[in-house]
Order: sequence, then C-alpha cells, then structure tokens
Amino acid sequence: MADVRLDGVAKAFGSVQVINDLNLAVDDGELLVFVGPSGCGKSTMLRMISGLEDVTRGRIMIGGRDVTHVAPSRRRVAMVFQSYALFPHMSVADNIGFGLKLARTPPAEIRRRVAEVARTLQIDPLLDRKPRQLSGGQRQRVAIGRSIIRNPEVFLFDEPLSNLDAALRIRMRLEIARLHNRLGVTMIYVTHDQTEAMTLADRIAVVNGGSIEQLGSPMELYDRPANLFVARFIGAPSMNVIPGTVTVEGGVPAIACGETRIRLSAGPVPPGTSDATLGVRPEHLSAVNKGEGDFAGRVEIVEDLGAESLVYLQTGLMADSLTMRVTAGSGLSAGDAIGVRLDPARLHLFDSRGLAIR
Amino acid sequence: MADPGGFDHSGGGAAADAAIGPAPRPFDPWPATIFVILLCLAVLFLAPTLGVLLSSIKTTREIAFGELWMFPARIYLGNFAEVIANPAVHRYFVNTFLVTVPATALSITFGVLAGYVFAKLPFKGGNLLFLAIVSGMFFPPQVILIPLFRLFNGLGLIDTLWPIIFIHTAMGIPICTLLMRNFFATVPGALREAAILEGANEWQVLTRIALPLSLPALAVLATLQFTWIWNDFLWPLIFTQSDEKRTIMLGIVNLKGQYSVAWGVQGALSLIASLPTLIVFLFFQRYFIKGMTMGAVKG
Ligand SMILES: Nc1ncnc2c1ncn2[C@@H]1O[C@H](COP(=O)(O)OP(=O)(O)O)[C@@H](O)[C@H]1O
Ligand SMILES: [Mg+2]
Repeated sequence: MADVRLDGVAKAFGSVQVINDLNLAVDDGELLVFVGPSGCGKSTMLRMISGLEDVTRGRIMIGGRDVTHVAPSRRRVAMVFQSYALFPHMSVADNIGFGLKLARTPPAEIRRRVAEVARTLQIDPLLDRKPRQLSGGQRQRVAIGRSIIRNPEVFLFDEPLSNLDAALRIRMRLEIARLHNRLGVTMIYVTHDQTEAMTLADRIAVVNGGSIEQLGSPMELYDRPANLFVARFIGAPSMNVIPGTVTVEGGVPAIACGETRIRLSAGPVPPGTSDATLGVRPEHLSAVNKGEGDFAGRVEIVEDLGAESLVYLQTGLMADSLTMRVTAGSGLSAGDAIGVRLDPARLHLFDSRGLAIR
Repeated sequence: MADPGGFDHSGGGAAADAAIGPAPRPFDPWPATIFVILLCLAVLFLAPTLGVLLSSIKTTREIAFGELWMFPARIYLGNFAEVIANPAVHRYFVNTFLVTVPATALSITFGVLAGYVFAKLPFKGGNLLFLAIVSGMFFPPQVILIPLFRLFNGLGLIDTLWPIIFIHTAMGIPICTLLMRNFFATVPGALREAAILEGANEWQVLTRIALPLSLPALAVLATLQFTWIWNDFLWPLIFTQSDEKRTIMLGIVNLKGQYSVAWGVQGALSLIASLPTLIVFLFFQRYFIKGMTMGAVKG
C-alpha cells in the first residue's frame, strides 16, 4: 500500500520538453487515470514513475519514500504494457513466475504462488502454453498475472486494453475494476480512451501537451470542465462548442452566436469579456415544436443507437452542425424543421483563452 | 437432342469449365530461363566436388591412367583407410579443432556482448564506434599480414596455434557484432523493460531474454564462423611451420608432398575434412527458423 507523489517533475528528451512541471498526489488505494491524446506524454509520465525513464527535474515519492534515483525493481511497482511484453520463449507459468525466480524464491513456492495467481485470473488451464498460443485477452491476463504475483504497492497500466477488440475491452475493463476492488492497491492507468477513463477512474487527470489540464473525479470533469480542452475531450459524443460574443443587455448577460442570442442565466460574466465560447453537451439540447425553444434547427442526420439517438442539426449558430442526444423514438427524421431548447442550467462558457467562466 | 447417347455431358462440362476458367496465359519464358541458368550454375559448382569424390574412390593407377570423370570399375576404399590410419591426419584434425572451437566461441561471445550494447544500451558516440567495428570487415588480410607476423614473432608465438586463434577471434568480431546487433534490435524493447521491472539486471536480460530469442542468429553465426575458420588456409600457413602444428587444410596439401601423386588420398582427406562443417551445419540448421519472437507483443 502506498501513495504516489510527483513534485515538480519534468522531462526533456534532448531539447524537446515532453513533461513540464508535473505536481500530483495519488492517494493510497486510488485508481487514477491519465487520459489524453496520443503523444501528450502519458507513457513518459508512467515510465518515470516506474523508473524506466529518468526525470530531468523534480522528485518522485512512493509510500513516503523518495524513489527518484531508486532502481525500477526496487520501487515496488509493477507495470502492464500495451504490448503485453510477454517473454515468447517461456511458458505462461514461467512468465508469471519470472520475477520470483530472479529473486531466488524456492521452486515449490513459485509453483504455489503461480497457481494461486492463475486461479484468480482464470488462466490455470493455460499455464503450460507459450504466449503465441494465447488469444489477446488471455495474453493480457498473463501480463496482469506477472505484475500481481510480487505484490507490488503500485500498479502501472500503459494502455493495456488498446490491442483488444471492443467487446473484450469492455470485459477486461470490468476485470481491472474488480482487481482494483479486490487488491485495494494504488493503480495508475494510462489511456487515450475517455470512456475507459470515465468508467474506471476514481480520479482522472486530463493530460495535454505534457501538462495536466484538470484533475478530478469523472463527474467533476464532466460537469465542470475547467477549460475547452477538457470539455471537448471528456464525454462522447463530445460537447458542442459554439463561438460567440458576450453582450450584456439590461444587466443580464447573453451570448450572440450567429444570429441567435442566448441568455446566460448561470453566473456573472467578468466585465470586459467579449469573445467567448458557449459549450453545451448533446444531452442538454432538446427538440421542441418549430418556432418554440431558443433557436431553430433542421435535422440533418439521425443516428439510432438503440436506446437513444444522436441527431445532427443545422442551425444558425455556426457553420458546423450541433449534436443532440435524444431518447429513441423521438420521431425525428432528416429534413425536419424543429425548435431547439437549451438547458439553461447546464451551459458552459469559456473565455477567449479557453478557460471556463463560472 | 443432338446427342441421344447422352455423352454430351462431359463435352458440355468441359466447354463450361473452359469458359469459366482463366484464359490461357501467354507463354512466360522467364521461369524456364531462370531454371536453366540455375541448373548450369549447380552443375558448375558441384562438378569439382564430384571430381574429388570420384578420385577418392579410385586407386592411384586408375587415376594415373584413367579419365578424371570416369567412374571406377570397382569402388576402392583404400584411400580412406590410408587417411584414417595416418597419425599426421589425426594431429591436423586436433589442431584444427583447437583453433576453430575457441575462435568461433570467442568471436560470437564478443559479438553478442557488443551487439547487445549497441542495440539496447545506446550511448554517446555509439553509432560511430559501431561503424568503426563493422568497417573491420573490409580489411584485406594481406594488409595486416606482415605487421601481425612481426608482432607474433616478437611475442615468440610463431609455430603455435595462438596467433591463429587470436586473429580469427578478432576478425570475426565485426560480422558477429553486426549480425547480433541487428538481431537484438528486433527483440522488442518492452521485453527488456518488463524483465528489468521484474528485477533482472542487464546480464540477466541478455542471458534469459535476448539470447534465447536469438537462437537463429547464433546458429547462423556459429555455422558461418566454424566453416570459415575450419577452411582457412592463409593464417595457419603463415604462423605454423612444423607438421605438428599444421591444420587440416594445410595437411591436405602436405599429403601431396609425401607421395608422388596422391590425388586419391587427397580427395579422401578433403571429403573427410569437410565432414565437421557439414555436421555443424546440419546440427544448427534446425535453429534457422523464423518467428521466434512471434507472440511476444501485440496480438
Ligand atoms: N525516448 C524518446 N526520445 C525522444 N522523444 C521521445 C521519447 N519517448 C517519447 N518521446 C516523445 O515524447 C512525447 C510523448 O510521448 P509518450 O509519453 O509516449 O506519449 P503518449 O504515451 O501520451 O502517447 C512524444 O512526442 C514522443 O515523440
Ligand atoms: Mg503511450
């Protein structure tokens, strides 16, 4: 059991600054997810925590111990790689028991613990196979088995599910959540998939360009994104963002988008704000009769997803279409002219630098 | 209607097949040409071997009077018996093994160590050093022959096997380093990192992960180096003088000196002398398989 703290950690490859001044505290037993577009430095962060990569600046603490200059194997961390990184010439049992063997654990003890881990991961019938004889999901389990056998204090996952097909990904996601519940250990999980982040995380750190844009619980990030990047990145389909100009009429702030003025009931707008961006999630738009609502729209495309439908609307607000999420059976079809209502309590406003105005 | 006998079925079927099947392709002369060229080359390469084989099973008389390419009236094994019973031949064999085995093992060992560092542990100036080592392959031996002779003469090692072991080890390092580096480069870096997180040190990564995955490369190198060193003529010729220190390739020529015309015996010894390289090849060829790293990463 251990917490993880990063103090002013930075990383540069040559002259390229990849991570800038990272400060983060991961609580003991927490499952923290790093999410961000590919190339933003997620893997580098994880590799610095594991010790596979040196830090250029800053300090890393695990369980109150400064491990900045401690060898990877002494940090009591385990890592599951995107590529699984199973040793192809060894059987599943030898893969799982590799670390114990290096630590000169007696063979009988290794066999016992490998069997135990295999049972919990339901891979006991596979112990004699070679990795190439396993399916992707089985390989992932073996990789997880190899990481849990030495009882590490911190688990690091680097996009462990991205090589699996969609159905398997959802199942393995659930299993990782179960594993976290059962072991109760600190986990740091990296993904570029916001759905994975939302479903797994106690807290999410949204990473962009080597910095954390926002850190918070999934719903916090969803409901109160700190900036446009987070607003767009979290949530699927992503938030509608509409550029506009803020005006104040009769003491009530409003935003003009295209020819439409939308009154902003929520929160005061700092004086002097002019260019701004309005954000509204697809589920906070609703269809009403033509001529009613906040503005008019024309249905362009309807995507039926089963329980719900995504409706793409042409409006006067901007050139791009807006996405609206409605429950199935809305009766809307392409070409319909409708009115659109915004949920006034759920609007997001961002200033010209992309920061949320609250 | 046209065929009351009902035999039309086959004819109609064939016509239908022809209509469905691919149109007849125009005659392509290339495969045939290539086959003929390869056949000529094969004959050219095998002819000397056949010549040696034929003379090894003939008596000296038959060789002296007969045609080189003629089959002997009766297979004569006396040449082989003579070679096998000759104590000088035994010495040649022992000497050649004493040179070939350590030089092969050492050059591969150094190649493995250097190749691993170049592939997995990059350092400043590493690429330049790698190029420098590999460029050693392009040194013609004649250039370094005289300095080396003077060097080993000064060390008092002339007419011993040491200079030959040393030179073959050194001259094998470039090719061994090149091949091993390139092979290790294909071993995914994540495997090394996973092993390191499990507590392995660099030596354990090499011996437990990288080397077991590199058996094909090791097999190729072992075969190449063994054959090359075993068949070498130049270095033993320069550094050994007494018959006690000669290796097998010099021995073949020496036999000629002892008998007036010894084609038969020479042929027999040539064939026997090539057996170890053949055995090494047959032993290692089962490792010449690809796909050892399959299943390491990804699905
Ligand atoms: N060893 C390295 N040398 C140079 N640049 C690197 C190295 N590793 C990663 N980078 C760069 O650092 C950035 C972040 O990489 P990474 O952490 O792998 O991103 P992510 O995992 O978020 O996709 C990328 O621009 C990548 O090109
Ligand atoms: Mg990555």
